[in-house]
Amino acid sequence: MSNENVLFQVEEDEVETNAPEDEGAGSRKHLIFTVDDLKIGIDANQVVEILHVYNATYLPMMPDYILGIFNMRGQIIPIMDIRLRLGKPPAEESILIVIDYNNNQLGIQVDSVDLMLDIPLESIVPIPSQSAQKLVSGMCTLPDGSGTMLVLDCEQLIARDYV
Amino acid sequence: MSNNDILDMYIYETNTLLEQLESIVLDAEKENTFSQDNVNEIFRIMHTIKGSSAMMEFDTLAQVSHRIEDMFFLIREGTMSVVKEEDRPALFDVMLHSVDYFREEMEKVEAEQPLNKDVDSFLGNINSLIAKIKGEEIPAEEPAKASAAAPAPAAEASAPAAVRTSEGSAEFPYGLRVFFDDGCGMENLRAFMLVTSVQGFCAEADFTYQPAGVENDSSLSEVVIEHGFLLQFRSDADRARAVPVVMTAGSVHSYEEENYVPAPPPEAKPSAPVQEAGPAAQKAPAAPAAQSGAQQHQAQGQKESLISVGLSKLDQLSAIVGEIVITEAMVTGSPDLKGLHLDGFAKSARQLRKLTDELQDVSMSLRMIPVANTFQKMNRIVRDMCKKLNKQVKLTLVGENTEVDKTIVDSIGDPIMHMVRNSMDHGIEENVQDRIEAGKDPVGEILLSAQDTGSEVIIQISDDGAGVNDEAVLAKAIRNGIASPDVEYSHKEILNFLMAPGFSTNTQVTEFSGRGVGMDVVKSGVESLGGSVSISSEQGKGMTTIMRIPLTMAIMDGMEVSVGNSIFTIPINNIRSSIKTTEEAILHDSVNGEMVKMLDGYYPVIRARDFYNLPGGAERIDDGVLMWLESGDCSYCLFVDELLGEQQIVVKPLPAYVNNFDIKNYGITGCSILGDGNISIILDAGGLYAAARNG
Repeated sequence: MSNENVLFQVEEDEVETNAPEDEGAGSRKHLIFTVDDLKIGIDANQVVEILHVYNATYLPMMPDYILGIFNMRGQIIPIMDIRLRLGKPPAEESILIVIDYNNNQLGIQVDSVDLMLDIPLESIVPIPSQSAQKLVSGMCTLPDGSGTMLVLDCEQLIARDYV
Repeated sequence: MSNNDILDMYIYETNTLLEQLESIVLDAEKENTFSQDNVNEIFRIMHTIKGSSAMMEFDTLAQVSHRIEDMFFLIREGTMSVVKEEDRPALFDVMLHSVDYFREEMEKVEAEQPLNKDVDSFLGNINSLIAKIKGEEIPAEEPAKASAAAPAPAAEASAPAAVRTSEGSAEFPYGLRVFFDDGCGMENLRAFMLVTSVQGFCAEADFTYQPAGVENDSSLSEVVIEHGFLLQFRSDADRARAVPVVMTAGSVHSYEEENYVPAPPPEAKPSAPVQEAGPAAQKAPAAPAAQSGAQQHQAQGQKESLISVGLSKLDQLSAIVGEIVITEAMVTGSPDLKGLHLDGFAKSARQLRKLTDELQDVSMSLRMIPVANTFQKMNRIVRDMCKKLNKQVKLTLVGENTEVDKTIVDSIGDPIMHMVRNSMDHGIEENVQDRIEAGKDPVGEILLSAQDTGSEVIIQISDDGAGVNDEAVLAKAIRNGIASPDVEYSHKEILNFLMAPGFSTNTQVTEFSGRGVGMDVVKSGVESLGGSVSISSEQGKGMTTIMRIPLTMAIMDGMEVSVGNSIFTIPINNIRSSIKTTEEAILHDSVNGEMVKMLDGYYPVIRARDFYNLPGGAERIDDGVLMWLESGDCSYCLFVDELLGEQQIVVKPLPAYVNNFDIKNYGITGCSILGDGNISIILDAGGLYAAARNG
């Protein structure tokens, strides 16, 4: 079973790219995904891979949001369920985004991956402090007017003490 | 190459040379003479150290190596017979001291500490030895000898200068002699300008010039007028590049190319008046010959086709090879192939498997180095301790070509050294008479052997000394509170006290041992490598210590067990046995703990499923297997579902993120990728027990 999983990892090259090729200095490509109806974006530079099929090995003595570890071409990578991390119920369907932040690799399990978008950096504004949220460092209105995106704070995500 | 690389290279090279030197000296000491080959070799080593130290501007190191080189030059010319019998111990001592001295300085260089500037007394030692050696030489050289043997400062002032002259010709064979226009004036400065322009394309280490010091000594102008200004290059190519530079320089009248010939060069004469008379003139004819000899030797040494590769690159390689092996298993075992009959594919797959196996072996062997270096170091320790303790002991080495993973070789040095010291200090009898009475050879023997069994290396250190005195050890153990006076201990248990922390039978603290940290350091050191130590001894016959160490840390033998859907790997070394038993055999204690009776005693039972809160797994003891595990002094049974089989696995560390959660404290040390791409979790028997105890 796992053979299959690793063999047929699908790299999500076909994620549609709205952004023009000439990337402006003031903008960054963001990968936007959905977690429990929230649109969350992550700097595309930190995304290593997107996997549909993966096989988590349960690792005991870990918090419940750590689903385990998996083998990505010889690298052992932990998997975190963002829903559980945010205190939401687990989803029916999921997809894994492997991110690399300061050489820490982490697989985050999300509901679905939507698209890749160029986000002008100046459009990202801090979250109003009274509603400060876990794991989010800022927010912005999507240029195509489809809604609001929260920016994932990888540092908080990977830091251990922030629970 | 950055400066740091050069420094690293220098330190590495010098340390390698020092090791070579030390083993030569130790061997020679046994023979009480240096063979001509040895002398040549030492000469070459000292020459290289001198050259590179001077290049790195470690002047004191260059000075010391230069004096030693001088000394061996004398010995080489006159063979070992110039060293009187009674001076030989002093010679060996000086050589070993100098090895120590260089090592110390190398450590300082590495730590970027300032070097010891005060080498006069050490140089004095060498000089007086040189004087002694020379005393036997042709009396006609009396005056020259006096100046060479004179106390450091005077000798030092002249010696380097003399060498520069001679070395210049040997190492820089391609000369370019430049004559300036008659009466152009300031010839010395014009010469120096040439030097600066040559520096523009040629590294300073790659050329030299005569006379030296033209930039600030105008009296040299006359020398330059009379004999021309000589630029000498290491390579012909550099000289070719220098020619146009010289031609275009102002006031150059003419130039000649000349190649170095080992015979006394004509320029020795002009340089002599410039650089003090005596030693320079006396050395000039002889030294170049010596230098060219050294050159040949160096060339021979370089023929060995060895390269040094960073350990991290090797790690990378073995990681990739590990992946290839796994991928190969994934491809050939792919479920897509099920039910297909592919003869050609099966054939190619077998071929591929063979090659990947070979590739894995090769990549592993790259990290393997012989233990010889570590073993050779013991020679020195035995020698020094023989002198200090006034005992006669010979060290026999067996199997020093056994190859072990580099990281392991690095860390077995200390344990072996402790054991050898122990044998020297406690093992071999104080009194030769005692040995003779016991019917033993008056010269004690320590045997150090290494043996490769395929999966582990067995290192054995045995001596033919007095052996362990059980009563003394027991009495001491009781005094130290390790043993209880009311219990009767077996011979084996008493020997194990030796390895308890804070135990040392020697009442006196000596330079070498007696701090009570010997054996337990050995034990913990070896155990941290995944190995084990055992001691055996027979009173009056000696003691033997056996260390078993896995060949490599990256690969280990493990037993795979399953609990529910999880697969765990338990190191084979920790497993005593596995037992199928029934629920009825399980006993309960007062706090709901479980125990089982095995052979001679009761052992706690830990259920992996409950301890790790695993989602699945056998509940009834009847449906699973008890693994009797041992690690250090803990012994217990781990209840798992099923044994899957023994396998060699490649150990991978857990991701840093996971380690944040102190998972190591729960007896999980790493993981390993199985042939089918799944992951098994490696358990640490000791850690698991400790966690279960505290939990």
